[in-house]
Amino acid sequence: MLIKLLNTLLMIVVALTITGVINRTRAVLAGRKGIRFFQHIYNVQLQLRKGAVYSTTTTTLFRIAPCIYLGAAVVAFLFIPIADLEPLLAFHGDIILVAYLLALSRVAIILAAMDTGSSFEGMGAAREALYGALVEPALMMAMATLALFCGYSSFADIFSTAQELDMNLTIVLLLVAYVFVVILFIEAGRVPVDDPKTHLELTMIHEVMCLDYSGVDMAMIHIAGWLKNAIFAVIAANAVSVAISFHWQFTVPLAILGAGLSIGIVESLRARNKLSRNTTYILTIVAMSALVLLTGFLLIQNIEI
Amino acid sequence: MYLYTLLAAVAVIALIFLTPVRHKVWVATGVIGLVAIAAIVLAIRSFTSVAPIVIAEFSTTFFGAEHFAIDKLSSLFLVIIAIASLATVVYSRGYVGGYLKRFAAAHISLHYTSLVMLVVAMMLVVMSSGGFSFLFSWELMTIASFLLILFEADRQDVRRAALNYLVMMHIGFMFLVAGFVMTYSVTGSANFSAIVDYFKLAQPLPLFVILFIGFGMKAGVFPMHIWLPEAHPAAPSHVSAIMSGVMIKTGVYGIMRLMQAIDQNTELLYTIGLIVLLSGIITGIWGVILAAMQNDIKRLLAYSSIENVGVILIGLGIAAVGHAAGSSLIGMCGLCGALLHTVNHSLFKSLLFFSAGNIYSKLHTTAMNQMGGLAKHMPVTAILMLLATVAICALPPLNGFVSELLIYIGMFNGVSDGHEVLYSVAGIIALSLIGGVVVLAFTKLYGVVFLGSPRSTHVAESSEVDNTRIVAMALPAALILFIGLMPQYAIRPIAVVAESISGANNSIAVNHFAPTLEAVSATGWLLIAVIIILFVLKHKAQSNRKVESGPTWGCGFTATNTRMQYTGESFSEGLESIGKPLMKDTVDGRAVDKGEIFPSPHNYRIRHKDKVDSLLGLWWVKMMHRINEYVMRLRTGRVNNYITFALAFFFVVLVLTLVGIL
Repeated sequence: MLIKLLNTLLMIVVALTITGVINRTRAVLAGRKGIRFFQHIYNVQLQLRKGAVYSTTTTTLFRIAPCIYLGAAVVAFLFIPIADLEPLLAFHGDIILVAYLLALSRVAIILAAMDTGSSFEGMGAAREALYGALVEPALMMAMATLALFCGYSSFADIFSTAQELDMNLTIVLLLVAYVFVVILFIEAGRVPVDDPKTHLELTMIHEVMCLDYSGVDMAMIHIAGWLKNAIFAVIAANAVSVAISFHWQFTVPLAILGAGLSIGIVESLRARNKLSRNTTYILTIVAMSALVLLTGFLLIQNIEI
Repeated sequence: MYLYTLLAAVAVIALIFLTPVRHKVWVATGVIGLVAIAAIVLAIRSFTSVAPIVIAEFSTTFFGAEHFAIDKLSSLFLVIIAIASLATVVYSRGYVGGYLKRFAAAHISLHYTSLVMLVVAMMLVVMSSGGFSFLFSWELMTIASFLLILFEADRQDVRRAALNYLVMMHIGFMFLVAGFVMTYSVTGSANFSAIVDYFKLAQPLPLFVILFIGFGMKAGVFPMHIWLPEAHPAAPSHVSAIMSGVMIKTGVYGIMRLMQAIDQNTELLYTIGLIVLLSGIITGIWGVILAAMQNDIKRLLAYSSIENVGVILIGLGIAAVGHAAGSSLIGMCGLCGALLHTVNHSLFKSLLFFSAGNIYSKLHTTAMNQMGGLAKHMPVTAILMLLATVAICALPPLNGFVSELLIYIGMFNGVSDGHEVLYSVAGIIALSLIGGVVVLAFTKLYGVVFLGSPRSTHVAESSEVDNTRIVAMALPAALILFIGLMPQYAIRPIAVVAESISGANNSIAVNHFAPTLEAVSATGWLLIAVIIILFVLKHKAQSNRKVESGPTWGCGFTATNTRMQYTGESFSEGLESIGKPLMKDTVDGRAVDKGEIFPSPHNYRIRHKDKVDSLLGLWWVKMMHRINEYVMRLRTGRVNNYITFALAFFFVVLVLTLVGIL
């Protein structure tokens, strides 16, 4: 039980710090001093103390949606182990549940965006739905690769099996980690798919869907975003840890720095994709994860023979 | 016995025709209610007994001894049919009520007679041992549903769609006849149990393919699905509900019977599993992408039915492949997933079609782009439809997730245990793509129809429907919640049925995923609890703050109007580039040109048609037209010409006899 709580606590640490690392990395690379490390948490605290303005077009769904968005992310969050630590919840087949919980939270925010009747938010919703649909196979295949290597379909089992892996498989697992990082870019709405810092609604995806939210609702959406970042960052770090037999002490900084630095560096160095190119970009990741899975399969077959 | 059956049929028909027009629905409800209760009682009894319950035994002229009996598989389908038909007939009161003035009493009577006929025919189909009684019930089912589609027979598109349906169904029927005759010619019996012998005695694959085409035509398997998106928009909504929710599942039932017949021969099971898996993948992906592109509510729902049949076939296929490879766990997961998805789809698809019916009866259109903001005018329908939408997107904590989870677990086990990795991976890719795009399709449907602000003035005049319809919709809704939140109870009967299909003792496999389902149930409750807690906390945080309402933020633009909202067409625009190879667009009018600085009014309509439709539809329709032209020349209308034809006929016969050909 203590280990489970430790795991959850560490997950929360990861969730709270990634955004800080991203901001600091961007600031350093741009030659700025940058905002305080925990500024994003203060911002959310401020939002939690505020009132709200709701559009007259909206229905009750609009007010419940942030709770579903955050609630689904919270439940998914509880299933994620850090390396060989035990997560709070686990069962056989939970990798599918986590993927579909994230889909549920996506559906909630898409419907909320459609509820405002704003053309901009509809636009964001349509893009989010499309990218979500396309990234799903990549996510499932990356998970299937893990299941193939470790012989289980539960996060807890996959990452707790200490295995002596062949060098070839190590490389494949690093590629799986890469796929998860790119999925993190897509799901978190980061460059190169989406740019949270853009000033024009027409070019937004994730941010434009929350235009009509304020106060507590906005805070919930931000918190859910942190949790989702942590989920993908930790899975990616876990894949690396399995590959080079790290324990949780190393995985936690790896998750924070890996995700934070990669997002920060990519955002500083390159521009966002043209929106019409995003489909191709995501399909490339799908193809890549299929390739990784097939390579892994062939390697495993060879070893057994 | 024949006499009593005939008398009962005549009595029911007479009763429906003789009652006053307002009360015909109650006669139909009574009859269907009795039949449904009897079916459920018998189904439960057969569940607890070891041997199938035989209802009637008889001998037929063509195929010898046959019987109607209820085994485990039949009883599952009987329950599905009973529940869906009860909901349908109760719902029909409100829906048909709007047409009582428009149509003659006989028209309404015919409708209800066909409805009763369809329910009885479907039950006979799943009880029949095969052969003549099966074909007879199958044909009765087709004719009854044809009459039901024809309800609004004064609309030309309805007549067209109904005729199209009738032709397609008879092509499928011919395949079934051929299949049963083949079985009879080799084994001396046309029962499903004789197919087992056929598979041992003769080349099994041709028979399987022929029967698969016959059943696939009803189930809407690619490329035989093209009747579905035509028939559903034409049929009244409660008919769509029962057809899409249950009737197409009789095709799935047939495929399951076929698989039951091959459990011993692993090599054949493997081949057949591959065929089923592949057709499931193609059907599912094709159906879901076209569903996402549709802008008509019922057409979208029809394509989504095709997609769900695809999911069921993926489950069946992976079960067969896994079973053949020696993993009873994969077999059990796939089979339970497929069976449970059959149940689930019948529930949420009827609910979706009922909601579509509520909208149609208020707005008199199914074009999504004329709606918007309906949630404010029809709140109960909006809530029920939201439930069905979440369920069909296979999201936790509702029932669609449970069945897809079982199929996924089967495939992930395939991957992790090293059984048939490549096919499992193909299934995972297909199922996850389907799962992703179905979210797009249904958020589009729900968002454009119920949310936002009204796109036409009709919406403001709409109101919530009558209470009987709500009651009818509450039945599937309650079951969706039950299966979603307590899957560990729902799975028990399903596992028994799955065991009866695959033959092997699968208690190990059942034990294997029972804890999973308990965990899913617990997670579902946890999710609901977390959402409620968050909502309460949010409410508390806002309680002493200023909560205002105002217009939607227009990003600095203040002259927004409702026509500027995202439409269904624009919502799925991004998918168009991917779905292009599957569609053929028909365009009416001219779009606004980029060069027009001050655009004049334009009329522009685009419809994304199925490519299969144009591929299959064109050449043979043209050929038939040409043949028809020649034949029509003979129809002169003059008696003397016809006498000449008769004379010519006799002359030809005479000559042929003299030459010795005849």
